[in-house]
Amino acid sequence: MGRAWLGIVALLAGCAARPREVNFAMWAGDEARNRYLENVVRPHLQDRHGLTLRIVPYGHTSEVVSKLITEKAAGKTSGGSVDVVWINGENFRAAKQAGVLWGPIVMPRLYPAAAYEKDFGTPIDGLETPWQSAQFVMAWDTARFAEPPRTLDALVAWVKAHPGRFTYPAPPDFSGSVFTRHFLLAKGFDGGLAALREMKPYLWKRGETYPATIAELDRLFANQEIDFAMSYGPSFASERIARGTFPATVRTFVFDSGTIGNFNYLAVPFNAADRPAALTLIGDLTSRERLLDMARQLGHTFPHAGPDPGLPRGIATLPPALLRAKFLPEPDAGELVRFEQAWRQRVLLAP
Amino acid sequence: MRWLVWLPVLFLAVRSLATRWFWPALWPGEWSGRAWSAVRAEPLENSLTLAAAVTVTAVLVALPLAGPYLRRPSLRWAVLTLALLPPLAASVGLHGLFLRLGLTDSWWGVALVHLIPATPYAIIAIAGSLSRFDEDLVAQARTLGAGPWAIWRHVKGPALAPGLATGAVFAFVISWSQYASTALIGGGRILTLPMALVGYQQSGDEAVAAALSLVFLSAPVMLSVWVERGWEL
Repeated sequence: MGRAWLGIVALLAGCAARPREVNFAMWAGDEARNRYLENVVRPHLQDRHGLTLRIVPYGHTSEVVSKLITEKAAGKTSGGSVDVVWINGENFRAAKQAGVLWGPIVMPRLYPAAAYEKDFGTPIDGLETPWQSAQFVMAWDTARFAEPPRTLDALVAWVKAHPGRFTYPAPPDFSGSVFTRHFLLAKGFDGGLAALREMKPYLWKRGETYPATIAELDRLFANQEIDFAMSYGPSFASERIARGTFPATVRTFVFDSGTIGNFNYLAVPFNAADRPAALTLIGDLTSRERLLDMARQLGHTFPHAGPDPGLPRGIATLPPALLRAKFLPEPDAGELVRFEQAWRQRVLLAP
Repeated sequence: MRWLVWLPVLFLAVRSLATRWFWPALWPGEWSGRAWSAVRAEPLENSLTLAAAVTVTAVLVALPLAGPYLRRPSLRWAVLTLALLPPLAASVGLHGLFLRLGLTDSWWGVALVHLIPATPYAIIAIAGSLSRFDEDLVAQARTLGAGPWAIWRHVKGPALAPGLATGAVFAFVISWSQYASTALIGGGRILTLPMALVGYQQSGDEAVAAALSLVFLSAPVMLSVWVERGWEL
């Protein structure tokens, strides 16, 4: 009896002496999301679970994956510095192939069934659990013209009629790459490349150069050098209007044939220092209450399956029911990489 | 015309506080403190302590090596190779070694990896002053009865001061601007200013990027003003 008490006292003393940390590695370029995690999620985790949330910011998620691969090669199999990583697509494929993720992660299945099957064509096998969803949208300024072209063919025709007023970030930029994949899905590998090649001479700077990042595209659009912006975030235009980088007259649209969407995921590295803490953080981030709150405060899409909870939307954000009806899944990650390489040869470098 | 140097700084200050600033407006329509509320103390503290420690260590290591650097071509090649080695390549190669030594994800590991590009520049700068130093002056001072400390204090130290200052500034600025090596060896646990800056620059949040750039610029600007004053004195 006396020994049991001693054990409990030692345990309590240990807990009090060393605050438990949970380290969340994430792409940290979104100031509103960072602020939300620091000001809302961190105090909540502290009060409810006694966990200190530490955000480990990265410019590219691939940096986290290469760090884990090196750690595995060096035999660092425990006490890693990352407990949860925000991941999807090619980074997930690389991490899964290298065997640097712990799993399967078992969580309540609150998302549409498709979210648990494949991530850009890679079978998930429980190695990551869905967090939020994204879908490609285009934006135009209603102060410049009333109606945008709503099919790929109409867009190509519009570009030809307005030389120099359209461009897209050069793949492998995330947003530019997904823009070109709509041509892959609609017209096939060769047909898609041919249509993109056909547009090239009518692009901004005659297609001789492309913006390298979505940030440059945003700037060109805001400065009225081009007439369309694009993003993988359905609420991006509303966010930029609120932030003051887009005028309030900007609106978004999707193609009649649909736009590509995906889920992003949370995964636990093989050498995470504290797996229970990692699962506690994942449980909080993927809960209905958390996602509803993020939708209300940040304008993010509510990703769970089931009826639309009827949340207020940003001024330029499309209704969730419309987005869901126009949702197209990502092609296989391998084909995506081949298409990006072919784009480089047959569009970027073509005369 | 020296005031022209401050123009980009002025632009960054305006950009960090401006919102709803659209072409063709010459001046922002609205002002906001949003960007400055995203600036945190932790990255600044880490950047300052790392750069200070790297500066002192690099100069102390470089001082005894500057002489051999001038005399021995093999050492010269080694130092120049280290200086020209891309920091990313060096860090990727060292990551495995640092993991085995338990130096990753720590302030000490990051300081050590910053020393690799910083020390060669300190050596080169100090060697520059040393090559113009006339060793006969030391012999002269000794003849006049000066001890080793007095020789350093009154003869060699003042003669090498410009090289020491240049080497220190180089070491500071190199540590201050490391990104890839900090991210890799620090594992994201040691947050520095460049790490905070890169994310916002990539996502195109120009206001936050401008605010962080001003913080990032402050130390090198103060340093160069101080060095320039030193030269004029």
